[in-house]
Parts: sequence; C-alpha cells; structure tokens
Amino acid sequence: MNRNKKSGIIGIIITVIILVILVVFTNSNVNQVSFVENIFNVLVMPVQNGFTYLKNKISGNDSYFADMDTLKQENEELKQKNSELEQSLRELEIIKAENETLKEYVNLKDKYADYNTIPADVINRDISNYSSTVVINVGTDDGIKEGMTVIADSGLVGHIVSATSNTAKVQTIVDTASAVTSTISTTDDTIVVQGTLDDKTALKATFIPTDAVVLQGDSVETSGIGGIYPKGIHIGTIREVVNTNNITDRYAIVDTAVDFTKLNTVLVITNSVDE
Amino acid sequence: MRDLKKVIAVILLIVSFFIIYFLQSNFFTWFTISKVQPNLFVIFILFVGLFTGKKLGLILGIIFGFYLDVVIGRQIGVSGIMLGIIGLAGEYLDKNFSKESKITIILMIIGSTLIYEIGSYVFSLITLDINIEILSFMKILFIETLYNVIITIIIYPLIQKLGHLLEEIFKTRNILTRYF
Repeated sequence: MNRNKKSGIIGIIITVIILVILVVFTNSNVNQVSFVENIFNVLVMPVQNGFTYLKNKISGNDSYFADMDTLKQENEELKQKNSELEQSLRELEIIKAENETLKEYVNLKDKYADYNTIPADVINRDISNYSSTVVINVGTDDGIKEGMTVIADSGLVGHIVSATSNTAKVQTIVDTASAVTSTISTTDDTIVVQGTLDDKTALKATFIPTDAVVLQGDSVETSGIGGIYPKGIHIGTIREVVNTNNITDRYAIVDTAVDFTKLNTVLVITNSVDE
Repeated sequence: MRDLKKVIAVILLIVSFFIIYFLQSNFFTWFTISKVQPNLFVIFILFVGLFTGKKLGLILGIIFGFYLDVVIGRQIGVSGIMLGIIGLAGEYLDKNFSKESKITIILMIIGSTLIYEIGSYVFSLITLDINIEILSFMKILFIETLYNVIITIIIYPLIQKLGHLLEEIFKTRNILTRYF
C-alpha cells in the first residue's frame, strides 16, 4: 500500500516535470536559443580572436616593408574621402531629421484624430483555443454600442459585439469568425482578411484580385466597405504570399500590427463610418 | 444535516468553478503547450457528474457553461449545452465504468474533451461564417486533449479524495464498484 502510494507520488512528479518541459520547449523562441548561442560566443570568441590576430600577423609580414611613399599617398586619399563622407553624413542627418518630421505627420494619433475615441482597458480574455474575444471595461453607460470599432495605438483590434452597462465584448480581427474587407495600401486592391486557427498573430488574406501585384511588406488597411470599420485603419503588413496552382485561390499571410498577446489598452471609436 | 452538507458542497463547487475560471483565464493563457490551453471546465464538470450524479452535473454544467458564454463566448448557449451533456454523461459513465481506475478516468476525460470541442466547433461552423480548418482544429484538439490528460494524471489523487467526499453527501445508495 505504502509502496503504491510512493510510486503514485513519483508518477505525479514525473508527469509535472514532463508538463513543464513540454510548456518550456513548445513556447521557447529563437531569441532564447540565441541567448544560449551568445553565452557560447562570449566563451569562444576571445580565443578565436587571438588566433585570428596571430594568423594575420604571420601572413601579413611581407606587407610590413611596403613602400612609404605609397602609404603617404594612400593616407592623403583617405583623408580626402573621409572629409567627403563627413559631408555626406551631415546631409544624411538633415534628411533623417526631415524624415522624422514627416513620420510625425503620418503618426497614427494624427491619423485617428478625426475620430472620437474612448480609452478602455482589457479586463478579460478568451479562454478558448478556437476563438479570440476580449472584454473591455467600458459599456453602454460610456456610450458604447454594438458594432463600434476598437483600435489600439498600432492598428485595428476589432469591433464591439455586445455591451453591458459597464463592459463590452470585442470580437478581435484574429477571431476565426472575423472577416474584414481591406485594401493593400500600395496598390489599392481590395482583399478580405480573416482570422485563422493556426496563428493568433496573423490573418489570412483571400480574394486577392488576379491582376494584383502583392508584395511582402505591403501595408494592409481597412477599406471602409462593409459598414463596420472606418476607412484607412492600419491592419498589418503582408508577411508572405502563397501562390497556388489556380491564381484565384492564392492567399497571403498578414502579420497583425497589434500584438494581441500583449493587448492591454484600446480605443473605441464612437462616431460611425458615415459621420 | 445532510441537506446542509449538500448546500455547503454546492457552494464549494461554485467557488471551485471561479478558481478554475481564474486559472484558465490567467495562468493557463501563458502556461501553454504549443500555445494551446487545457480545458479545465470539462475536467471539472465530468468530475461533478461522476461523483454527484446527473442532476447536479447537468444543472451546474448548464449554469457554468451559460456563464462562460455570457462573459466571454461568441455564442450564447453552446458551452452551456456541451457542459450540460458532459455533466449528464458523468452518471452514465459512473454506472458502466469504474472511477477507481486511473485509466478509465483518463479515457473519460479524452472522450469528454473530444465531445465538448467537436460539438462546439460544429455548432460554430453552422451558426457562424467561419472557414473550415480541419487540420488546424485537429492539431489544437490533440494538444488540448493531451494537456487535459496530463492535468488529470497530476490531480488524480485529489479527484479521488474530494470525489468520494462528494459521493458520500450526494449519493445515498451504495453503488457497487464495477471494474472496467
């Protein structure tokens, strides 16, 4: 009896260990692997650098007796090039400053300045593996209504599906039941982005026009068609275009601008598309 | 005295549900296997159905499921119906199989998880405009079932102890243990 109890406890401990290993391994990402790689690098690199220095010293002995005049001439040329590069650098810095100013002009806050928004915090997340909804801490008492658009600093989050007096349920764009008509900002082609079961950080873009040129890195925005989402809200960028035998079936994977795993604060747009 | 015990037991079950809900919506959102969470509610309702009988299993299954649907679900009623079915099935499983065997409990958990998730997914496919992703669904379902099994193995001694306490309160008849 005592032996059975003992082996039972051992079994539970082993199961817990297996579970922890499974969780750690399946959730580890490349950065963590790189961390281990970095440790090895720190240990190995000084030795490797020492050997490389020695090798260079030995193999470069013949150049030690190079002509002094040639070196002087080279030095002058390099000084000249250096001053030219310094000039270019100053010009680039001016361009960079201009670029920063332009970026500010197209900043998302400016972009969404036309909308009346209510800030809210995410207070509850979906507990299912098959859907993706969140609950926010504003409701009908704050003027929240069904169908209102929800955004975050970086882009579109979803829309309100139901509201109580002080909470509202938001169906996110990564939910499998969500489909948003959107446009590729560079070409203005209309596509439909839908949530998938595979990845809660990406969307599947379908109904891509056959003549559309879709490139990796293209930005995707809401089209304003459909009556729920206003036009021009950033959704994400195209990660990959998957070509199929039939061009009408091709689709693209869109990385969402919003990180739904770290979504804590949102803005609810209270004026409708037409207003 | 017995009625008072029953009331206290039901209150404790409700408290347990909220503890499980807290774990599911916090701890298990990051303690995942390949980004897949377990479904503790299935384990809990099956446990209630097995040890307290179909009445309480069905009622608590429907109430808790309905609560989940209202608070965070996409459709009202799906979780209520599915958890109700599992609560109801608990007693039938108890009559036909032994709860004393770890293997039987694990098989019951596998069956209940599959029934709950497949039922919910089919219901979603019918009522919502979603794409059918059989492979992805099966992958998630497999990991979720495995996760539920691992949790069941870990908490099995607790299930047994608390289960027998509940059985003493709720089941008046002495049920002979039948081995699978």
